[in-house]
This record gives sequence, C-alpha cells and structure tokens, in this order.
Amino acid sequence: MIEVKNLVRTFKSGDRTIKPVNDVSFELEQGTLASIVGKSGSGKSTLLSLLGALDKPTSGDVVVNGVSLASMPDAKLTNYRRRDIGFVFQQFNLIPNLSAVDNVMLPMEFAGVRKAARLERARQLLEQVQLDPDKHVRRINRLSGGEQQRVAIARALANEPKLILADEPTGNLDEQTGEHIIELLSALSRDHNTTILVVTHDRSLANKTERRFRLQQGRLTEETTRTRATAAVTG
Amino acid sequence: MSVLARSVGNAFRNKVRTAAVVAVLAVAIGLALAMLVANQAVTGKVAELNASVGTVLTVNPAGGQGFEGGGEPLTAAQEATAAAVPNVTSVVGTKALRLRNAAEAAAETASGRTGQGGPGGQTATSVTTSLTAAVDAGTLGNRNQAASGASGSGTAGSTQAAPSFSLPVTATGIGAEVDSTGKALQLTQGTGLGDYTAASTGALLGTTLATKNGLGVGSTFTIKDQTFTVKGLFDAGTAFGNNALYVTLPTAQTLAALPGELSTMIVTVNSMENVDAAKTALQAALGSDKADVTQGQRNLQTAVSSLDSVKNISFIAFAAALATAGLIILLIMVMLVRERRREIGVLKAIGAPNRTIGLQFVLEALVLVAMGSVVGAAIASFASGGIASALISSSSSTTAATGQRGGPGGFPGGQGGAFGGASQLLTSVTASASPEIIATGIAAVFGVAIIGALVPALLTARIRPIEVLRGE
Ligand SMILES: Nc1ncnc2c1ncn2[C@@H]1O[C@H](COP(=O)(O)OP(=O)(O)O)[C@@H](O)[C@H]1O
Ligand SMILES: [Mg+2]
Repeated sequence: MIEVKNLVRTFKSGDRTIKPVNDVSFELEQGTLASIVGKSGSGKSTLLSLLGALDKPTSGDVVVNGVSLASMPDAKLTNYRRRDIGFVFQQFNLIPNLSAVDNVMLPMEFAGVRKAARLERARQLLEQVQLDPDKHVRRINRLSGGEQQRVAIARALANEPKLILADEPTGNLDEQTGEHIIELLSALSRDHNTTILVVTHDRSLANKTERRFRLQQGRLTEETTRTRATAAVTG
Repeated sequence: MSVLARSVGNAFRNKVRTAAVVAVLAVAIGLALAMLVANQAVTGKVAELNASVGTVLTVNPAGGQGFEGGGEPLTAAQEATAAAVPNVTSVVGTKALRLRNAAEAAAETASGRTGQGGPGGQTATSVTTSLTAAVDAGTLGNRNQAASGASGSGTAGSTQAAPSFSLPVTATGIGAEVDSTGKALQLTQGTGLGDYTAASTGALLGTTLATKNGLGVGSTFTIKDQTFTVKGLFDAGTAFGNNALYVTLPTAQTLAALPGELSTMIVTVNSMENVDAAKTALQAALGSDKADVTQGQRNLQTAVSSLDSVKNISFIAFAAALATAGLIILLIMVMLVRERRREIGVLKAIGAPNRTIGLQFVLEALVLVAMGSVVGAAIASFASGGIASALISSSSSTTAATGQRGGPGGFPGGQGGAFGGASQLLTSVTASASPEIIATGIAAVFGVAIIGALVPALLTARIRPIEVLRGE
C-alpha cells in the first residue's frame, strides 16, 4: 500500500518557480499495475523520483506501508531504495564498464546476497528479459539501447522489490520486445503481488494497466478505473 | 564481482591516465623514500660523530705542537689538573718519539750530519730503532730534509752526494688504547698492550710498518737497543698513520729519558654541548702560558653542524615529496569522483550505502598508491644511496675547506691525516633502506590517499541521487 499525500515539488529557474508536481495525492493498493501518461515536461519523471526517494518533496509526503518517507533519515532511505524499490530509469543509468550480469548483481551485493546466489539469479533475470545468453558477460557500453533497457529492467527486479517504478521502460524497445516486457511486468504484479507504476507514452501499454493517471502541468488526474479482467479483455 | 574487484577494475578504466598517475606518484614516493633514507643515514652519522670524536680536546705545551715549536713540556701534575675539570671524562697522556733507523743514523753521523735537524723544540726525543719506515721519502720528504738540514746544522756540503735517507717512524706512548686523536685504535690482529700506564716491552705496529719490516704478532724489534715484541697490528686508515707504532706511556717516557713528561694530553668531554665550556675551563685551569688547548676535531664539529643542516633539509624534502604525493592522489581522486558523480548517483539510487561507495573509491586510490609505491620503492632503492652520499660528500667538502682555513700550521702531514680520516668517515655513510623506514613513508602516503578518496566520495554520496542523475 502506497499513499501519496499532497505532494509538491518546485524548482527555481531564474526568477520564476516551476511546479512539475503540484499537490498530487493518490493511493495504490499492493499488487496494482498502474500507469502515468502525460506530455513531455509535465512532471512524470519528477513525480517518480519522489516516490523512489531519489529526491525530496518541497512539501507533502509519501507513506509506504504506514512508514513516512518525509521523516526518514538518509541511511533509512538508502535501505528503502535497496529493499523496497526497483527503479527503471529513462536513461538506463547502468555502470558502463561492468558487464550485464555484474550490473544486475550490484543491488544484490548491497543487500548482502552471497556471490553464487547473486550470479544465478542475475542470469535467470537476464533470461527473463530475453537478453541473449552470450551477451550476459558483455560490457554495458557494448550493448544496444534496447539491450541496455532490458538489463536495466532485470536490475530493477533483482531484490524482489514491493514497488517497481519504471520511467518509459519500453521507449527503446521494438514492438515485440516491448510487448514481452509489458507481459513480464503484469505477471509480476499478478504473481508476486508487486505494485508497478509505469510512466509511458505507449498507448497499448497504458491500456493494459489497471489504473491510468494523467499528469498535466503538475496536476494528477485519474482517467479510468478498470478491473484487471476488463483490462485484459480490451488490451 | 566484489567492491575490491570493482575498484581494481576502475583503477584501470583509463589505462593511459593510470600509467601517468602511477608514474608521477612513483617519482614523488621514490623521492620521499630516498629523502627519508638519507635523513636516517645522516642522523645515524651525526650520532656516531657526536658519540666518538666530537668531544675530544687536545692539550699541547704552550707554543709547541708535535715536534715543532718550543715551551715547557706537559707534566703528570697537569694531567691530574685536567682530569679535575668539570665534564671531563678522561685524560690520556701521550709521549711522542721520533725513531730513526739505527744504521742510517750511524751513516749520517759518519758523513758529518747530525741527524735530522729542526727548528728546535723537542728534537731530543729522537731515538734509534731497528725498524725501517714504511713511507718512502719521495719528493716531499727530500725537500723537507734539505730544508731542515740547512737550518739544523748547516754543515752538510751541498755538493756531497746525499746519503740514503728515509722518513722517521713516529712512536707514541699512550695512556690508553686510543690513537693520537683520541679515537679507539682499530686493531686488525693481536691484542692490546694491557695496562697502558705500566712499562712493558709490547708494542702495536701500523699495518704498513709491520709489512715493510716483515713483522707479525710475536715478532721482535729494537728501540734504543731494547727488544720489543709486537703485540698487535692496527689500521689507522692512512699511509702516514700506519707508519707508526704505539707503546705504553711509561715505556715511551723511559725511552726518552724524560719520566713524567707528556707531549700531549687527549681530553674527552662527556658531551658535545659541554665541549666549549670544558675547553675554556681547561685552558684556565692549565694556564695559557703553560698549555694550548685545541679542539682537535673542530673540523668534525663543523661537519656535524653541516650534517645537521643536511638532516633538516632531507627531512623537509621528505615531507615535501610526501606532501606532493598526497596532493597528487588528492587531486586525482577529486577529479575521478567528479567524473563519476553520475555513477555515484546510480549506486546510491539502487541502494548502495555511503560506506560502500566510500570504500570503493578508497580501494581504487589504494590500488593507485600501491602501484606508485612499488615503482617508487624501486626508484628509491636505486637512488637513495647516491642521493645520501651526494648530500654528505658535498657537505664534507665544504667542511674540509673551512677546517683547513682555520687549522693550525705545523705538522701538516698529521693534520692531513686527520682530514683524510674525517672525510673518509663522512663519505663512508651509506644509506640503507630499512623496512621500517619504507613502511612509515608508504603508510603516510596511504593515509593521505584514504582521506583524499574518502572525503570527495562521501561528499558526493551525501547529496540526493537525482541531483547527480539529472542533466548530463
Ligand atoms: N532539477 C531541476 N531544476 C529545474 N527544473 C527542473 C528540474 N527537474 C525537472 N525540472 C523541470 O520540471 C519539468 C518536469 O520535468 P520532468 O519531470 O522530467 O518531465 P517529464 O518526465 O514529464 O518529461 C520540466 O520543465 C523540467 O525542466
Ligand atoms: Mg521524463
């Protein structure tokens, strides 16, 4: 269960202030697959980074399973990011001189998972996102954008987080792989009770989510609410 | 992949830059180590000089020195007076004799020459011996001989063919097992003479004198027709010093038929700091009309002070080179952290604790410093010996010049010998890199590297991940 309460994030740009997140409130039940759509520059990434504790709100709060992020000290926020969150960045943000498996193993290393177990799980995850096995040990900067996108998704899944925040995860993928990633994410939310919030431009992806939000000039509105069953039918 | 593996990998991410950083670090660390080694070598030498020869005063009869000059001889009573002066730890009396080869002396007498003349003074202490000097007269000896012969007797016809001539041998009666500059005798064979304050028929010979006369430990020879036994051989380090022999003080006084009379007294003061005060007190106690007190090792004292400045300079150079190494690694790490700000943000975003990020950069810095240290230590081990001896020999050559200018005239051979010994002592300083010294130096650089890596990495890790992830 994640509760977002009157979240505001402002930036000073010269002499004027911009409000990419302006009094946003919503709740997501555990296991929900939700999407946020909106024009470029409408504040989607800013909102996601507040939920992922990469940034601090100007005001308001995010409460995860009853625990407020606003009151958390820095070290606890690190734990929150490591254990509870899987973040898929718009620009992937992988470590360029490490291999695909090494990148996927990193969050597990920070969580203290033993080396053999990390390696096995990393390979499993890379298979799930359909990265060629011979590319598992290839350095990130020698993989294509689509391949990097898949490694980034595998890394987000590494510590079995309760909440996955994905910023345009299919933006760099061909239609077929994109489809597969969407299926993977919805299977996770269904089978592992993982809450998933996806920022997307992709209509077909948005249509497959149970809840769909639209962000316009920092204001969040919910478009339609469907049950999982109808979503699957119309999708 | 562990933190360590990642750090090592990162250290080699840009191979050209890594090589450059390691090379610069190696030069700085190598220089620091070489300076530390030099400092250590000089410190050791200063302590050695202070402990041994820096505290010796020589007392000569007023107006006389060695076989030159005039005045009244020193006496046993004056020896007691000197011993009573504060801070004086020991007084050793010596009685010098000039030994002439008996056969040669007879030939000279027959040809009308009255033995080697001199400008007066203590010529009476010349006695005959069966020994032949180990030093050939050469050009210098013959020139001296001609000059002193003229002023001595003036009876030798200049047209007469010069008879065979050799230098005299210096025999010194000593009250303890020290040479005429107060340093312990370096015996290469045999034993000492036992009680140096009792008459005995034992003698210690310089190595070259013994070789020249075919003598070894247990051999016998004569002085003034008395038989002496060689008890030991010594090496004074110079040809002049080795053309000499030592007997006990009473023996020399008996041979000279001057009981209780001393040529010089070697006075040892308890510490370097007290030398000047003791010298003044000794001069006052003995009376300036009776005795001349000189600091025979004045040149060494100057050497010590110049070595002290070398010691300070080498320490400053060590600290500066170390600081340079520290500064290099500091700047490199600041640069690396800046360059990888985004990466730090990513690590933070996926849940890396600050300590893991700090550790990763510290290990990377240590890898660089470790490589720099290994190469630097290799450079230092080649360079330090050269640097140390260069520092010390340049300082001792200025010392020798200073000493010569202020040094007393007369008996130039003896003074030259002392200088030879002193400079030999100084240049024999060899820098040896003890593991402790190297470890201390490297530990200091590692300490700087840890701080240099940790501070910028933690400062970057502390800011919100989004701030470093955005933009670039
Ligand atoms: N750190 C920042 N400083 C100034 N302006 C920012 C900052 N972060 C985001 N913005 C601005 O906030 C707005 C929303 O950005 P973003 O959340 O990235 O939009 P979206 O992801 O929906 O395209 C943009 O106008 C962007 O320029
Ligand atoms: Mg965005």
